[in-house]
Amino acid sequence: MLSRLVLRAAPAALRSLPPPVTVGVLHATRPLHTSKQHLAPLPPLPEKGGEVRHGLIPEEFFQFLYPKTGVTGPYMLGTGLILYFLSKEIYVVNHETVAAVCILSILIYGIKKFGPDVAAFADKLNEEKLAKAQAVKNESIEGLEAAIEQEKKEQWRVEGRSYLFDAKRNNIAMLLEANYRERLLTVYNEVKKRLDYQVAMQNLKRQKEQDHMIQWVEKSVVQSITPQQQKESIAKCILDLKALSKTAQ
Amino acid sequence: MAGRRAAIKAIDWAAFAERVPPNQRPMFNALKTRSDALSARLAALPEKPPAIDWAYYKSAVAKAGMVDEFQKKFSALKIPEPVDTQTSKINAQEQEAAKSAEEYVQASKARIAQYEQELQKLKSMIPFEQMTFEDLHEAFPETRLDKEKYPYWPHKPIADL
Repeated sequence: MLSRLVLRAAPAALRSLPPPVTVGVLHATRPLHTSKQHLAPLPPLPEKGGEVRHGLIPEEFFQFLYPKTGVTGPYMLGTGLILYFLSKEIYVVNHETVAAVCILSILIYGIKKFGPDVAAFADKLNEEKLAKAQAVKNESIEGLEAAIEQEKKEQWRVEGRSYLFDAKRNNIAMLLEANYRERLLTVYNEVKKRLDYQVAMQNLKRQKEQDHMIQWVEKSVVQSITPQQQKESIAKCILDLKALSKTAQ
Repeated sequence: MAGRRAAIKAIDWAAFAERVPPNQRPMFNALKTRSDALSARLAALPEKPPAIDWAYYKSAVAKAGMVDEFQKKFSALKIPEPVDTQTSKINAQEQEAAKSAEEYVQASKARIAQYEQELQKLKSMIPFEQMTFEDLHEAFPETRLDKEKYPYWPHKPIADL
């Protein structure tokens, strides 16, 4: 029992020692912020935990014994300890040993077979959480950038307000000019109309006078034909007709 | 003739149309149609009315002094130009618009500064892999669980899970 405590205490004691310089540091110790001055964020956690052999014994133990005993040292030590416990009956073999063996074998078999899958699944869950948070952050960044773009565009739009007022002033100028021209045209048309009226009136009057004169002349001529003249002209017409009929025959 | 023709500036309608925001497009279209109608009307009217042929009328009209009188009065006639009452109003409007545009641009710049600040904060955040929950609550205060209002786990209404 005491030896078990010693075994358990050894790795802890080893960990508190500075790591051996000979082999590369496999387990980085994390300096904790004990003073108020450290405002930088903590360095990221190491990717993998400390190296362990056979799932139980940290690598530092083997490195610790390597200079003195070589590669087989810790194994000899382990074998010797186990044989010592068994032979001296410090560890007694009873029914619990059998149970332990069965249970441990099944456990180890299960872990070796399904361990990686379960680890991958757990990692995936974690990844999803991180990815969700990252997506939220990216969306916020994009939204902000889009908003900034929009604001700049609106500012650019505002700069174009001079167009509007130019258009309005143009409209006014065009309207005034069109009205002025219209007035000129109206004046011209009115004057022309009046002059044309005068000319037309004159023409009409002259024509009427002519017609009347002709009519009056005709009437007076007809009146001046006396009955005597009428008889003479009728006799002459009859003579002419007879002559014509004679020539026709 | 100096005051007669207020200079009609050539307006680049395409550039104008670009700057119109979509919610004011109908007003812009109305303005454009009105401008086009006015310019069409202006183009239809001749710049000067044709000259009256006084010689013909002098020979044609019998009444002696009438044509001469007409001619005298016609050349003496001064047609008043239409008075421009609106340009000053337009200029006043322009001043007001300049002022409000200034204010808008100022407010817009303030908003841009705010956005830039938040953007900076987001961009300089530590990556999520290195954050603790404390860091997360600092960066995004809305993730902080209110332990006073909901003292029992999960520290938020069940519906929000």
